[in-house]
Formats: sequence, structure tokens, C-alpha cells
Amino acid sequence: MLVRAHGLSKTFRGPDGSPVPVLHGVDVDVKAGECVAVAGPSGCGKSTLLNLLGLLEPLDAGEIWLDDVCVSRLSRGAQCRVRGRSIGYIFQSFLLIAGLTALENVLLAARYVGRPRPEALAEARRLMDRLGVVHRADHYPAQLSGGEQQRVAYCRAVLNAPPLVLADEPTGNLDDGHAAVILAELRALCRERGTSVILVTHRADAAARADRVLRLREGRLESQGGDGHS
Amino acid sequence: MVDVRRLLPRGYLFTVLGIAVGVAGLVALGAMAERITRFIDGGDRFVLGQISVAGEGMGMGTGFTAGGLLRASKIQEIARVPGVAAVQGQVMLPLNPTTSQFLTLTQELILGVDPAVRMSNREFRELPVRDGRFLRVGDRGVVVVGADFAASRRLRAGGALDLATGRTFQVVGVLDKTLTAPDRFAIVPLDDARDLWLRRDPLLVQVFTGAGGLGRGDLNTGAAVAWADGVDPDALARRIQAEVPGLNVTIPGELSRLLRQSTAFFSALLFGIGVLGLVIGGLSLSNTVTAAVFERIRDFGIKRALGATDGQLLREILGEALGVSISGGLLGVGLALAVGTLVDARGDGQQLFLFSPRLLAFALGFAVVLGGLAATYATLRIVRLSPAEAIRRGA
Repeated sequence: MLVRAHGLSKTFRGPDGSPVPVLHGVDVDVKAGECVAVAGPSGCGKSTLLNLLGLLEPLDAGEIWLDDVCVSRLSRGAQCRVRGRSIGYIFQSFLLIAGLTALENVLLAARYVGRPRPEALAEARRLMDRLGVVHRADHYPAQLSGGEQQRVAYCRAVLNAPPLVLADEPTGNLDDGHAAVILAELRALCRERGTSVILVTHRADAAARADRVLRLREGRLESQGGDGHS
Repeated sequence: MVDVRRLLPRGYLFTVLGIAVGVAGLVALGAMAERITRFIDGGDRFVLGQISVAGEGMGMGTGFTAGGLLRASKIQEIARVPGVAAVQGQVMLPLNPTTSQFLTLTQELILGVDPAVRMSNREFRELPVRDGRFLRVGDRGVVVVGADFAASRRLRAGGALDLATGRTFQVVGVLDKTLTAPDRFAIVPLDDARDLWLRRDPLLVQVFTGAGGLGRGDLNTGAAVAWADGVDPDALARRIQAEVPGLNVTIPGELSRLLRQSTAFFSALLFGIGVLGLVIGGLSLSNTVTAAVFERIRDFGIKRALGATDGQLLREILGEALGVSISGGLLGVGLALAVGTLVDARGDGQQLFLFSPRLLAFALGFAVVLGGLAATYATLRIVRLSPAEAIRRGA
């Protein structure tokens, strides 16, 4: 069992300061090498769940364990190190840094974990070559298409070979062709590296290719099982 | 051609320009303050460098030798007072008598000195000559002019200058800038100055040619007295006053205090300019750096998501802030230098700006320190946010 999360709750503040509950006591377990899709209507808390699991947002209640470590109780600095070494993120809007080239964006993942640059550079080029964007290495994000940007973001997410990859609508801004490339890579990641992938998606085809589909409704887990393909 | 944008952290060009404007304002205001300070300090050094003596009475001269006529016999008596090292008779006249009583700080003066006698002012033993030479023994009909005096009339060594109707002097030298009174002097041989004085003052001519018993050597508006090493100048000035009757003697220490009091307004103005420069430049700079960091809050949220710790992020932002502050600081200094040089080259001989090394070093240091503090403040605000919140706010 790689990820165990229990009783995850999160409430935001509205514009007038009133509480806006988003998640209510959600439990999630994900095994190593498993691909889990998170589905549900807009505003049901999918992205918030992913942010909590990725330590991008503080919890109001609950616990998150990665293997044998309760990461939700770690200090801020320790959580940074967990994010750098153990979790990779892919966002719907790519979130590349505009002032860095594609290659520099990919290498950013290695900078904060102290990985030797030559080794990281070789791995970054290998990944970019595999994803078909190595010829764009010196281009800035604004000079890349949406599909290319997401492939660069994918390379950044997996550069440090994290055991957990979180993908929030990774194909939301892509056409079918580019979406297929990203989804195939995520599946290969689980199969070949034993990486756990949690994927928020609206695409039925993406959910159908996952090992399991978690269905959220109004911040509660409706079902967490086995209607995806193994 | 070098693309400046490639030399700076990407996206920081306008930040650098913003800092440059703030630093340029600080440097320009500071340079004006430095200029006034140098002028006042120069006057203070001058009065503390000699004992100025004039004859008893209301005054026929001007400047530091204002007072009655100082006869040659009095100069000889002064020279015999123990502690006196040298006495230099002088004639100091306003170039333009009609305005001399009003524009006392910036008025142009004719100074007559005897090149055979060593300059008595300890602070101005020799006036530095930029072009040509200083006065020599036996010179007549020649003039050495101060830097501002020369600039306002486009004078160079070898040129000619009309100091009185029908009396043309040959310019033999132009002084280097002293940033104080001598910049506006026309220095002529003592005998020439006496001639100019006689031409200008009909009453003096009647006295001189009548039964007053005056000789040319008596035509001095005053004298500069030098003291021997180890002598207290204020005490010596009081001794001269006591031992030689019929003199107006200025006490250097008292004159310095008087000068400071009379320039108190300028000192207050300087303080105001300095504070204004620091506030304007500081606000502009810190606001620009802080805004630049907050503008990139999304990028820092992404970096936090990729594992950047507080310390890593702070080091990274401080490094960028340092680069940006130094670039902006250097650009601002260059901008202020360019504008100041252009303004000072407008041709009326007045120098408004003094870009001293200490001012430029202070401005650069100020930019770096304030830039660093502003970046630290912004970073500490950012790291308190969760990565997701930082990304949301920057979206």
C-alpha cells in the first residue's frame, strides 16, 4: 500500500468569510503501481482531494500516509522534501514557468532535491526525446503548443521517478491525439515503473483505462471501486 | 549588438527600469546636496585657514577683506606680532558693484594678490591650475580665472577679458574646479587690482591724490595673515587686535561659526533633500522589488510544489533581487550621471551636481540592501502560503 488517506476534510472561506466545505471525511487507499481515476461533477472536490494528497494544501482533518510515514504531520520543510522526492504533479494548465526554457522547466524538478545536474540533464533529454519534445528544449513555454507544453510538464513530473504521480485533468486542454499520448505514458508509468498514478479526469476514456475509479459527489466518496480496467 | 534583455533575469526588465528611476532620483538629489555641502565646507575651510584683517571702518572692499583701507604700515605692524608667519596684502573687489551686496554667496570677485608673497591661507596654499599658469612675479595686465568664471564666458588661457571699461586683461590661466569661492574669482596682480579700484571709486581717487599722504602700497582692502606652526589662530587674532590698533580682525573660529549660522538654511535644505531622496528612492525601489516578487507568486508556488524549501526559495529570490538591484542601481547611477552632466554642461558655469564616489557607493549599497530587504519581506509572505494557494493567487 503506497498511499493511505483517512478522513480528509477541507473547508475554504468564501468571499464574505463564510465557510465553504469542500471535502467531508474522504478515505483513499492506492497501491503501488495502481492507476486510480477520480471522477465526479464539477465542484465536487476532485482537485482539492488531489491537492491534499500532494501536500499542496493543508488539511483541516484527517491523515495522509505515504508507505509508513504520516506525511500530513511532517514539518513544512519535511513536506517540501517529500514533494520533491516522492510526488510528481501534472496540472491541467501545465504550470510551466514562462521565464525558463522547456529543458530548464524539466530540470527544475531536480534542482530542489539536490540531484547532480549532469545525471538530471541526461535523464531530462532522454524523457523529452521519448515524448517527442527534445527539439523544443530551448524554446520558452509561450513558443510551444498546448500538447508540447503538457509533454514538457509530464517530463518534469516524472524526472525524479517519484513513486506517486498526481495528474489533475492532464488532458483537459488537449486534443484527442495529444491526450492519448499523455494517457498512454501514465499507464506505462504504472506498468513499467510501478508508479502509483491518481488521475482527475472528465474523460470517460481516461477513466475507463484506470484500474479503479473513485467517484466523488458533493465532497463525499460515492464509490471507490473496480469499474475501471485492470 | 548586445540584447540587454538576455543579460537580466527574464521578466525583470521593467523591474530594473523601475529601480533605475528610483536610484537615479536618489543620486540626483544626493549630488545636489553634495554640491551645496562642498560649497559651504569650502568657505569654512577658507575662513579657518587664515586670519583676515582689514582696516578700521565701514569698508571699501568686499568679501573676506571687507573693512576700511589697510595701510602698508599696518601690514608691517601685523607682521611683527609674535606668532605671525606671513602677511599678504590683498585687494578684493566685486566684479559687478551694483549686485555685490545681494548675491554674496555666488558673486564674482576680483582678487588682487602679490605673487611674490606666498599665499597665506593654510587650506589654499596653491590654487590648482587646469589650463595655462598662475600669476608670476612681475606680471601686469594678466588674469587667472576660476573654473565657473571661465565656463560662463568660454574663457581659455590665451584669451582676453575686459575687467573694466577699456581695460583688457590677458587670460594666462584657468583654475581647476574647487567647488567653492575661487571658482568665481578673477585673480590679477595686486598693482592691477589697485588700478581697477582707483578707476571705480572716485572718492578714493580724491583721497589718494589729495593730502591724505597715501601711497600705492596703502591701497589694500585687507590682508590674509598666516600663523606659525603650533600657534592658536584664534588667540593670535585676538593678540593682533590688542597689539595693532585701528584694525578689523576676524577671529577664524568665530567667523566659521558665523558662516555656519548664516548657512543654517542650506544645511536644513540639505537634510530635507537627503531625506526626500531616501524616501522617494527607497519607496520606489522597495515597491518595485516587492511587486516584482509578488508578480511571480505563481512561479514560486510551482517551485514549492516541486519541493523548494523556504531556504531554497529565499536564496533563489535574494539572488535574483541582488542581480536586479545591482543592475537597476548601476543603470540609475548612469542615468543620473548622464542627466547631471547634461544639465551642468548648459553653459552658465554653474555646477549643480557633485557625484562623489561616496554618494555613488552609498546609492548602490542602498539599492542592494533595500532590494534584499524587500525581497526577503515578499518571500516570507509567500512561503506562508500553501503551494496551491500561491498558484491560485498568481493565476
